Amino acid sequence: MSSFSVKNVNQIFGTGTAKVHVLHDVNFEAEPGTLSLIMGPSGSGKSTFLTIAGGLLTPTSGEVTVNGETYTDRTKKQRDALRLDSIGFVLQTYHLLPYLTVADQFKLVDKVKPNGNLSKAELDDVLETLGIEQLINKYPGELSGGQQQRVAIARALYPNPAIILADEPTAALDGSRVKVVGELLKSLAVKHHKAVVVVTHDARLIEAADHLYEMQDGYLTKK
Amino acid sequence: MFLALKEIKKEKLRSGLIIAMIVLISYLIFILTSLALGLARQNTDAINSWHVDQVTLNSSANTDMRQSFLTAEQVGKLTKKEALIGETSVVAKAAGHKQLSAVFIGLDDTQFVAKNLVLESGHQVKQAHQIVVDDSLKLEGYKLGSRIKLNDSQTRYTIVGFTKNAKMNIAPVVYGQLTTWQTLRGLTNGPVASAIVSQNMHYKTTKQGTKTYSTAKVIEKLPGYQAQTTTFVMMIAFLMVISLIIIAVFLYILTMQKLPNYAVLRVQGIPSRVLVGATVSQSVLLVVSGLVFGTILTIITALVIPPAIPMAFDIPVLSAVGAGLLVMALIGGLIPIKSVLNVDPVSVIGG
Ligand SMILES: Nc1ncnc2c1ncn2[C@@H]1O[C@H](COP(=O)(O)OP(=O)(O)O)[C@@H](O)[C@H]1O
Ligand SMILES: [Mg+2]
Repeated sequence: MSSFSVKNVNQIFGTGTAKVHVLHDVNFEAEPGTLSLIMGPSGSGKSTFLTIAGGLLTPTSGEVTVNGETYTDRTKKQRDALRLDSIGFVLQTYHLLPYLTVADQFKLVDKVKPNGNLSKAELDDVLETLGIEQLINKYPGELSGGQQQRVAIARALYPNPAIILADEPTAALDGSRVKVVGELLKSLAVKHHKAVVVVTHDARLIEAADHLYEMQDGYLTKK
Repeated sequence: MFLALKEIKKEKLRSGLIIAMIVLISYLIFILTSLALGLARQNTDAINSWHVDQVTLNSSANTDMRQSFLTAEQVGKLTKKEALIGETSVVAKAAGHKQLSAVFIGLDDTQFVAKNLVLESGHQVKQAHQIVVDDSLKLEGYKLGSRIKLNDSQTRYTIVGFTKNAKMNIAPVVYGQLTTWQTLRGLTNGPVASAIVSQNMHYKTTKQGTKTYSTAKVIEKLPGYQAQTTTFVMMIAFLMVISLIIIAVFLYILTMQKLPNYAVLRVQGIPSRVLVGATVSQSVLLVVSGLVFGTILTIITALVIPPAIPMAFDIPVLSAVGAGLLVMALIGGLIPIKSVLNVDPVSVIGG
């Protein structure tokens, strides 16, 4: 069974003449250990897809399943819990809390979700892989963009989620870093056995992908 | 709490400024309250020191002890729980001293008011030409043994004792004998006192032309007393409301600035409850630390304030004011909660 699936999802915003059909019968599956890349031009529906995939928005129709658990028809609270447990988000801008040190970013997760997070040894391993083990007592404001992004990736991994959803992770990076981040996301999938889904319009990430999808005017097709 | 503490720790300057603002607001309110209370007490200290429940006056005296006269017949028989008071305004004069407005209170030295008078130094009045005065007269240079004239009589009265907290109508009290009161008022025959004060809650007069009031009622009717206390209470109430608004605005701005961060936390599945908890506990932490420093400043002020300034630092009253401020601040801190609950995590997912 796939760890993550989106079935027959339609998303319609607005009513009457203002009605916009943004996603059309979208189907998608992701396996642990693979990196899926969803490409598409601006306005094609990538962010809407990610919002629904992450349980932030209930689709007009269709269902989303994570590890066999269906999102749709869940209360806001239950979706919060599922998100905290099963989905790691890597956002376009790194969005670390400015007043927490790197170590405290993880401690916050412990406060809210005491169980099932990475052990100390596992976290140290992740930090080392990402090359940020020296930065543990720094505030985000003291880090470079690339360092912040790696911290954000570690933060997304920390609750040990089944899937990692990344929204335009390279949008704020220069060329040389794009390749590094692509490899990083790929190694996340392989080494930590996660289903990694990356939404982007950055074609430079293609070489890292196991599966490639294209979003065009709300239709998702596998390449 | 975790988030709140971490943020205060990181944003030391910002938190410090907000705490400083709350310190100043609470200090201002504490000092004003103490001044108001001090002034109110100067109206009533003497009467409060007698610990009486009922005051019987001439029924046509408009509840003013200074305007009341009771005849021996109106006074009738008294128990050990009643005492006679003869009150009148006087001007005290002595060579080398400024004239001083005071309140003369004549007592019968066999009755409880005179007997229970707590002296700081000296002894009780034993003769007609002896007086016990409020210790504020020391600040005017009077000592035990000083002789003063009252009004324009040529008689000299000797200060034989000092007592604390003897103030009436914001003037120092001069305690003497009831006969002295009669002399000062020019009453050789007829009225024997202004009032009967009683420690018996159920004391009630039956005599013609007299009326019994509760002590609270008599205090309320002191000239100017109510206008003064109402003014201060209104001032403090307005200050409370204004501080509510100021604190609320600051906490609101503080929270609004954090909404984008909160949206990210919502995306990550951190429940709203945690964010609300962080917001509220931050407000409480800031306000409580502000109140603590404000209290410390008030205590320091209480220790160094010159005795001539009428301030009364009453712990129950100041605690109530502090609690009021805390409640106000909590209300202020709750206003942005709605925005925290409505944070839209979708806004973080990039276009
Ligand atoms: N809340 C909304 N209400 C109405 N239209 C929306 C809303 N969100 C997105 N859209 C529309 O859906 C389309 C897809 O948007 P989006 O998913 O952000 O695309 P992408 O991320 O690929 O640029 C756009 O035409 C956008 O205007
Ligand atoms: Mg987008």
